Amino acid sequence: MHPLATFLNDLQQLERSPIASQGSLILNAFTRHTRFDAGALYLRDARGSEMRLAAKSQCIAPEILDGAAEDVLQPAPHVVVPLQSHREAVGVLALGMREGNGVDDDDVAMVRTAAAYVSTLLTNQRLLQETREGDFQLKYRLWELESLYDIGLSIASTLNIDDLADEILFRMISLTNARRAALFLREDAGGFTLYRSFGEVRADFLERELSEQLMREGKALTFEGGGECLFPSCETFVAVPIKGGNDAFIGVLAAADRETREGGVGAFEENELRLLSLFANQVAIALENARLHREALAKQAMERELELAATIQRDILPKSIPAVDGIEISALSRPARQVGGDYHAFFIRDGVLTALVADVAGKSMPAALLVSALHAVVQLLFAEGREIDEIATELNRHIHRWSAENKFATMIMISIDQEAETLQFVNAGHNPAYLVADGKIDMMKSHGLPIGILPQTRYLAQTRPFPAGSTAVLYSDGITEAEDVAGEEFENPRLEALLEQHLGCSASMIRDQIADAVDNFVGEAPQKDDQTLVVVRRV
Amino acid sequence: MTEELRVSVDRRDAGAIMYTKGYINNVGGEEIANRAYELMDGGVRTLLLNLRETKIVNSIGISILIEIIEKMIEKGGRIAFCCLTPVIHKTFQIMGLANYATIFTDEDAAVKELAI
Repeated sequence: MHPLATFLNDLQQLERSPIASQGSLILNAFTRHTRFDAGALYLRDARGSEMRLAAKSQCIAPEILDGAAEDVLQPAPHVVVPLQSHREAVGVLALGMREGNGVDDDDVAMVRTAAAYVSTLLTNQRLLQETREGDFQLKYRLWELESLYDIGLSIASTLNIDDLADEILFRMISLTNARRAALFLREDAGGFTLYRSFGEVRADFLERELSEQLMREGKALTFEGGGECLFPSCETFVAVPIKGGNDAFIGVLAAADRETREGGVGAFEENELRLLSLFANQVAIALENARLHREALAKQAMERELELAATIQRDILPKSIPAVDGIEISALSRPARQVGGDYHAFFIRDGVLTALVADVAGKSMPAALLVSALHAVVQLLFAEGREIDEIATELNRHIHRWSAENKFATMIMISIDQEAETLQFVNAGHNPAYLVADGKIDMMKSHGLPIGILPQTRYLAQTRPFPAGSTAVLYSDGITEAEDVAGEEFENPRLEALLEQHLGCSASMIRDQIADAVDNFVGEAPQKDDQTLVVVRRV
Repeated sequence: MTEELRVSVDRRDAGAIMYTKGYINNVGGEEIANRAYELMDGGVRTLLLNLRETKIVNSIGISILIEIIEKMIEKGGRIAFCCLTPVIHKTFQIMGLANYATIFTDEDAAVKELAI
């Protein structure tokens, strides 16, 4: 093979050699295939700013070539050849002979030919490297976008923040090249809890000053590190606030120790801060979704409980109106919510009808519990054969003892003795019931405290004449305090006017007239309170 | 969670399986590269990387894995991956590793296909 061909063939090894060993490979080839036995090779560094010493042999050469090679190398080279691509100088080759000065034109021509070939190889290799890096960067940006897209999909498909937190943290670490990261969530009290972390993180070191600065700035910020910081011994770290609905500050994402390709760690770049901010937005959405999901589940559970309580209460209330010879009974019960605080009951003992209407304080579940207790005690006391005054007294003692301090109920009980043609009643703090007899309307007003207020309260029954044709109307305040859209209440005068208009009407007629009148009065206004109405008439 | 990558190797007659545990970053990638080059120098031409216990890989780790793949291809060998998390699988596809290295779902399928 021709010596030049062998020379060029050796140089071609450049294509398969690592960049770090290229300098010595080139210089060795020149010293092996030419008569030059000393020299130095400078190659432009990756940033393109300096000519850096890549290899030297039998000479003194500075690390950076700053000036003409002839002036700075010792001994001075016999020939200096620029390694030139079409765009720029990629290097400088300086060669010399230690013995004699027999450099001829052939030597120089061979060096120039081989140098041109090396220039082409180096240029091609650099272009290839740039293309590969460009391709890598392009794919890397695509990876970033895909990751954000995937996180969005994950958020849409899962409502469990525990599952999402790992994925968010792992992707954040991957895309920012961080070595450490942390996700803090804000507690109700205002502090922060370390929710997820990777690498060494100080769980108790999200300083108030730092969090306040993040809240104020509302964007990703870079902080100085050190021994005593969120990420111990880091140089710098970044943190970004997680902002929920209405800009509420709900957490912090932080990362430290961004890796560099050279093997060390450095500061995070602007695009990485933007990426962190995007991740923080995703986390905010995930947290918000998870919170709403938790609330929806809690609401569902509450609704199920209320539905169950409503079923229980429906079972407590009379399923049918009892049939008593000589007496018409009609009733209406309309709870304002699923579970109400109104209660009514009927008892028949020895031909005597007793009707009861009660209204416990409060609404929903607490009221329903008190209604249940009241129902159980009243049933037991009636079964024991007690009279209504005793029942009220015992009921009061029981409710006071076993119920919460602020729990009480108003109640009215009436007993109708057809033989004696009398009506007995006990009104414990309840609305005045109406007694319509002989064309006159009389009130059965309260004569005692509501049930459950004071333990020693003793109730006494009052007696009224109740001849045939008489009517008793018991109701809860949901009837007389029903409001129209303007907030005006139905009130007792309207009820009394209705009773006057329907003297002698049947119990069911009176009930329907009152119910219709209340409905017409209220109109589109929502029902605010339970409504109970019991009408009892002797025929 | 483990931050430092740990590598173990199952050397077989017809190749080797390398198991990684932890973060494939600069440090972790170099550890894999060193072990892979040792195996290549020892004549291994079929290398399976089982990443079952690796959940995170960053761009520097990926570039090192690409270098390892290129080195193996230069030597006429073959590199494959198995047991990747869905996130890492997608990352390898986007970053082009899947063009030069086969990705298997599980180790048994990989061992059978690679005959190691």
